[in-house]
Amino acid sequence: MAEVALVDVSKSFGAVDAVRNLSLSIANGEFVVLLGPTGAGKTTTLRLIAGLERPDRGNVLIQGRIVTEAVPAERDVAFVFQQYSLYPHLTVYDNLAFPLRSPARRMDEQLVRRRIHQVAELLHVEQKLGNRATALSGGEMQRVAIGRALVREPAVYLMDEPLSSLDAKLRAELRLELKRIQRELGTTILYVTHDQIEAMTMADRIGVMNEGVLIQLGTPREIYERPDNAYVASRLGAPAINLVPAELLAGGAMPPNARTVGLRTEHIRMICSADGPGPVAQVHWVEHLGDQNHVHLKIASHSLVTLADPAQQLKAGDRVSLAFDDPLYFDQAGNRVAANESGRQA
Amino acid sequence: MSTLAERAVARTPNRLALRLGNLSDKAIAWLFITPSVLLLLAINIFPLLWTIQLSFTNYRANRPNAVLRYVGLDNYRDILTDPEIWHAMQATAHFVLWSIAMELVLGFGLALLINRRFRGHSFWTTIILLPMMLSPAVVGNFWTFLLQPQIGLFNNAIAVLTGVDPSSFQMIGDVRLAPWSIIMVDAWMWTPYVMLICLAGLRSIPDYIYEAAEVDRASPWRQFWSITLPMVMPFLMLAILFRAIENFKMFDMVNLLTSGGPGSTTEVASITLKREAFEKWRTGYSSALAIILFVTVFGAANIYVKALNRVKQR
Repeated sequence: MAEVALVDVSKSFGAVDAVRNLSLSIANGEFVVLLGPTGAGKTTTLRLIAGLERPDRGNVLIQGRIVTEAVPAERDVAFVFQQYSLYPHLTVYDNLAFPLRSPARRMDEQLVRRRIHQVAELLHVEQKLGNRATALSGGEMQRVAIGRALVREPAVYLMDEPLSSLDAKLRAELRLELKRIQRELGTTILYVTHDQIEAMTMADRIGVMNEGVLIQLGTPREIYERPDNAYVASRLGAPAINLVPAELLAGGAMPPNARTVGLRTEHIRMICSADGPGPVAQVHWVEHLGDQNHVHLKIASHSLVTLADPAQQLKAGDRVSLAFDDPLYFDQAGNRVAANESGRQA
Repeated sequence: MSTLAERAVARTPNRLALRLGNLSDKAIAWLFITPSVLLLLAINIFPLLWTIQLSFTNYRANRPNAVLRYVGLDNYRDILTDPEIWHAMQATAHFVLWSIAMELVLGFGLALLINRRFRGHSFWTTIILLPMMLSPAVVGNFWTFLLQPQIGLFNNAIAVLTGVDPSSFQMIGDVRLAPWSIIMVDAWMWTPYVMLICLAGLRSIPDYIYEAAEVDRASPWRQFWSITLPMVMPFLMLAILFRAIENFKMFDMVNLLTSGGPGSTTEVASITLKREAFEKWRTGYSSALAIILFVTVFGAANIYVKALNRVKQR
């Protein structure tokens, strides 16, 4: 049974449609990530589920129960905010105990202590339990904020870019941690981010949103390999997918209605001589990143970015010929069209 | 070949540089602050020191030619054993405590209401702030009219509300009511000030803390006690400090409203001080009283600020 379901939900703020006709269903124990740029409606979606906003239309269901009109306290959700929303005058322990000490719960203090120590251990903040919330570093604060959600056992955890204000190293660490915790506890999480790496590494399913619309929902593999349209394709992959006009690379497996070709770095093979069978490009610029090189190519008036082995000696002005493996094709409207099975290029 | 302009510049000595040229940076700094230091010495420090000196004498300002005699700590002993002074101190404490209590409750309450950001809340904020923009002398003056038993609006309003005869009670003339009159007028004037400080405190609490508490199933009551109050506390304490210092030395409004009367029921310390100094002309004695008041406020404020810093650090 779906733990959380949104049925045709819309919400606007004044003239801005924050969320449009959104339907989404999250299964028990599933980790769903909403991915999209700022203003895509991801946070509004979370807030609609939490009950911090009321939808203009549509219904919100949690554990099969319609909660559209219910206040947050009646919904059995936990929310991790983007800002460290700790109670600054309380200690870490009291912050973690806060949701458990709700009169609605009436939890035994002995039990509270046990839960807090469990969660503190999980998040490596045991040493900090006696500290005031304001005496913590950013990473510790966010771990406590996550901990305050984890001490409860709600139907769903809602997380709004919880790692975005942390530095890269800590983000990578907590990303792994969070996924591990989710696997161990089998919790249901709806997680919002604009970071494709977080989405790819943690999600069971990714929902790509833009301008209030859920464009595609699927496993990370599906979203990456079979994006519905050019927008979804451009959200994932680094360097970003190259979108070039179809006439530039005519032939091969290209379907007749293709107008744009999407070339990820793994779709492009460079042959270091100008007399290969494919189109010829000129190296415009090489970025050395240490473990890999980003090669900026010019083909006609279009630019392509691809990866190259750092051992490969390329320099600006070199001419290379290109071969393409299974690129993505998009029609006039930007929707993906399947390749011609018969005429695949070698 | 240099141009004419260049030669002109070279020949004209820089007057400021010429005058300051052989002064060090430190000397220049002193040059700039000396005027304000002198002013401070002349109108603050010197009078304070002189008052301290006078407080050990029998000096009377209306008899400048009388023999000046040093009386040691006699003035201080007389003051601390004078029941009238203790009465004035009690009247002051009563006034300070109750006025601040009322201003805190009303000011915090108003701030909570205004903070709900209803339609037209900024208009009401402006209206509420009006009393504190008036001069205390003006306030004292027009409240004497408002509290006038026969023609005053206050008595008539009470009469309309409760049905009692408007001239059956006197807010200013009655021994029991007079202390409450000055508390009421002070609260009327300064509640907006406390409200403003509380409002600043309430606005500094981010919304997401309340949202987190809501998701955590905290009732509005619990949100108030465990979020709002602790986070506004430093602001409340600051408001108490400002109002306490101000009301401890309150003179103008009380002087105009009751002049310490009836009898000496509303004779707060500052009014006693004025009487001793400029009606009885006991300059030495009143100097000692001034020093005692100064040390009291200064000491109390210092202790309080330490407590405030502890609350802030939490």
